[in-house]
Amino acid sequence: MMNNERGDNSKSSKFMDILYLAAVQTAVVSGVLSLITVGLLLLNFYKGTIVEPRLEEQWEQLKTEVRNNPNDEELLSRVRELDLVMRTNRVRQDDFSRRGGYLLLGGLTVFLVSLKGSVQLRKKLPRPEKQGDIRGLQVREMVWGRRASTVVLTVLGSWLLIVAFLPALDFSRAVSVVASYPSMDEIAQNWPRFRGLEGAGISAYNNVPTEWDGKTGKNILWKSRVPLPGHSSPVVWGDRVFVSGADKKSRQIFCFDALSGTLLWDGSLVNPGAFSGEPLELDEGTAGYAAPTPVTDGRRVCAIFPTGDIGCFNFDGRLLWSRNLGLPDSIYGYASSLEMYQDMILIQYDQGYAEDEKSAVLALDFQTGRTIWETKRPVSGSWTSPIVVQIDSEFQYITCSNPFVIGYDPKSGQEIWRVECLGPDVAPSAIYANGLVFAIEPYVAVYAIRPQIRGDSQQAEVVWIGEDGIPDITSPVSNGQLLFLLTTYGMLTCYDITDEVSDKDRIDNQQRIRPKLWEQELDTEFNASASLVGDKLYLLSTKGVMIIAQAGRSYKEIVRCELGEECYASPAFADGRIYIRVVENLYCIGNKD
Amino acid sequence: MRQLRSIVIFLVLPLIVTTYSFGVERFPPPDFESGYEMPVTTVPSPRQNFYEYIDLGVLIAAIGVASYLALRRRSRRGLFVLTVFSLLYFGFWRKGCICPIGAIQNITMSIFDSSYAAPLFVLGFFLVPLISTLFFGRTFCAAVCPLGAVQDLVLVRPVSVPQWLERSLRFLAYVYLGAAVLFAATGSAFIICRYDPFVSIFRLSGNFYILVLAGCFLLAGMFIGRPYCRFLCPYGVILRQLSRISRFRVSITPDECIHCRLCEDACPFGAIKKPMVEWPAESYSKNKRLLGILIVALPVFVLAGGWLGGSVKHIAAKMHWRVRLAERIYLEDMDQVEGTTDASDAFRATGEDVNELYSEASAIRQKLGVGGWIVGGFLGFVTGLKLVGLSIRKNREDYEADAGQCLSCGRCFSYCPREHARLERIRQKSSK
Repeated sequence: MMNNERGDNSKSSKFMDILYLAAVQTAVVSGVLSLITVGLLLLNFYKGTIVEPRLEEQWEQLKTEVRNNPNDEELLSRVRELDLVMRTNRVRQDDFSRRGGYLLLGGLTVFLVSLKGSVQLRKKLPRPEKQGDIRGLQVREMVWGRRASTVVLTVLGSWLLIVAFLPALDFSRAVSVVASYPSMDEIAQNWPRFRGLEGAGISAYNNVPTEWDGKTGKNILWKSRVPLPGHSSPVVWGDRVFVSGADKKSRQIFCFDALSGTLLWDGSLVNPGAFSGEPLELDEGTAGYAAPTPVTDGRRVCAIFPTGDIGCFNFDGRLLWSRNLGLPDSIYGYASSLEMYQDMILIQYDQGYAEDEKSAVLALDFQTGRTIWETKRPVSGSWTSPIVVQIDSEFQYITCSNPFVIGYDPKSGQEIWRVECLGPDVAPSAIYANGLVFAIEPYVAVYAIRPQIRGDSQQAEVVWIGEDGIPDITSPVSNGQLLFLLTTYGMLTCYDITDEVSDKDRIDNQQRIRPKLWEQELDTEFNASASLVGDKLYLLSTKGVMIIAQAGRSYKEIVRCELGEECYASPAFADGRIYIRVVENLYCIGNKD
Repeated sequence: MRQLRSIVIFLVLPLIVTTYSFGVERFPPPDFESGYEMPVTTVPSPRQNFYEYIDLGVLIAAIGVASYLALRRRSRRGLFVLTVFSLLYFGFWRKGCICPIGAIQNITMSIFDSSYAAPLFVLGFFLVPLISTLFFGRTFCAAVCPLGAVQDLVLVRPVSVPQWLERSLRFLAYVYLGAAVLFAATGSAFIICRYDPFVSIFRLSGNFYILVLAGCFLLAGMFIGRPYCRFLCPYGVILRQLSRISRFRVSITPDECIHCRLCEDACPFGAIKKPMVEWPAESYSKNKRLLGILIVALPVFVLAGGWLGGSVKHIAAKMHWRVRLAERIYLEDMDQVEGTTDASDAFRATGEDVNELYSEASAIRQKLGVGGWIVGGFLGFVTGLKLVGLSIRKNREDYEADAGQCLSCGRCFSYCPREHARLERIRQKSSK
């Protein structure tokens, strides 16, 4: 009997030993398998986090190259190949991770079960040790408990104390820093808006070239492709040239290096704010998806589009803000360019009919896009661009729309004066010369308006009217003595604006009609407004021919320079250079010598 | 044994890396014109609440079974099986959400934010374990909580933590609870969910650092019984207080303690308290003095905690995404950082006024300042009470499961000779 029991115990012990051995061996095998799995997963992880980003960097570089060389098929093919490699790798890695993860989970479960099992099989019965000084132990535990708690609290408290004195960002400082804006001298030295300083179309530099040829490349410093179309004109600040472009889907601003023509960056506006409706449909004959010219203050550049999207980028191409002002009700597509005053962007947002009460002028904070002021105005939609001009000692913000020419205070948006003289579909912008504002009613008349100065009892009034050679699209240019008008069909007309209209003339001639000084048929079409460089007129035709003529009391053509590409935007002038946007490209013209 | 530990370490650490691979983002769509047409985005139909109510039913049933097994049957094996079930159901099947621990935040937010209402089942998840604890002790922790379950199952070789260390580390759970309530009340973040180390294991996916944290907890959990439950669980703080006043509770012995000391080291969670002896007279007088000082200093603890809590508002505010966004925009605008983030790009594309964002961020900081005072004051009060508690001698004549700390896991049952006698009696009764 005893032998049987001993035999049973021995069998049971042996069985337990075998079980223990099996559990340990299972733990080891599952552990090793799990380790191998882990090694492979680590390798996969390394590929995903170290190798792939390098490929992505290459891919990004190639994409940048593609932007500057969009027709390079080999480059495009390399981008596609690399893209395919990256995607294939990613899918493979994801798949590998998923399977490996499950395998490892299973392996570790077996490992834990066998490990616990082996520990359980060797579990010893409790054998309490002999008790020592219980009383002392309990008192010590209390004391140690207090000390440990005090240490934890001290560590925690000290950490909080350090954190409490860490410097915090003061949001109010952001406002003071961004309040900087360029001086009038800086603005004058650059070409920051449509037609430069005050929208006058006058170059600050006389050293711009008078000869070039697109075919031979003579004096063409560089030519770069603009990725998206647009009728907007280039603006220039220092070594940066900006143009906007858009189609039905995209709205972008492009920054080129003025020296090399390299596309430095492009910035997109993607449905900011409220505009989330159907894509805007603009027909062939309209102003297009990117007619308004951007504005820059040398720190930032801002562009607006016919969708009502407006956005501002810094010179590194970082979007500072974007908004949607609401889809403008404009039959030919919104086209008013942006103007600026100090740290504000000024927008002429005319739309619909006067009775719709939709039109307004707004000022946005250049840095934040916040509306600083908004003034409703009783006018219908227009395609003119506003100007800010200095009249005596104050600045006025002058706009043209059916039926009013209105002068505002650019600081507050408060109306100073208005003159009712315009008709529907106004597109040419006003200029200010020789103390007069010249506003154009397409095909009908040019109005010379004496603006009212705030606090002056003299009301704003139309001083005289010119009825010859009235343009429908282009804006006038003046050297302070002569006014030049250029029609779409190629008629250049000159008015003398120096002599005053006497009171007698006013009484004798209620219409105050002023005759033209001369006119000249140029036998070509124009969409770009005329510009003035020193004593020369620069007239850029839609065929890309620049007619350079003497800005004098009689017409004298100097030269015609051809680019050989269609052009609808007005040129921008810088020190020794002209920037011309044609349909697909941006040209920089300068003396190569 | 050392070899075994090394194997364990080498196996658990890489687990972190493994699960990370599940969290990687899917690749973006093609970036060039390839003729590829993006599929139309479809919106899934709203999620049915049906499953959540089933979960609530399962929770109630599981707590009921756990209470029955712990108090009535005193079955460790039964509790173990239920633990495995809870891990599989609430953990791997239901992906650890919603859980009563995280529900603290939903309930807090619904109290402080009038635009948010916690669903009924969330309220149920929050209340059911609390109510059951009031009656049966922490049976929810024993075998129902999936976070507790995963830690319970990886426990291989428990090491006892000295009482003084245990007591001081337990304070961290109060800090975590205070922070969770503060951030939920201000709409800043649900930190319990965000930093839950175990959900990423249940989902086999998650942030790399969270996976590292989970790995650390599991590794520590092989030697230290349920480290998260004991030192961090914010829900455990509430359950601990309720368990102290519960109607029924697990006891080591089924009838009387015979002071055999066999159960002394039975609890891997340090919840078995030894009988107290009389202190020496000098210790009494010292502790009396200290007690008086601590009671007088209690308001100082509250004020100091409040001040500290209120002073870290600008750092605490970083938990709120609007504040983080405002700070990023600010740094970008001040040219103090290079490049942009997806968040800042997205913000600038919305057309929102940056000044409004700054104002909002400042208001959130203010809110957190006030909340920080309250939470800090509360933590100061808890600190004072803890120190007071450590200066008072408690009467205890037998070996007892600590009313607050005991997780009702039933590991200690088999250590008690009286339990074996009880089981023997049952066996004999059933054989008759």
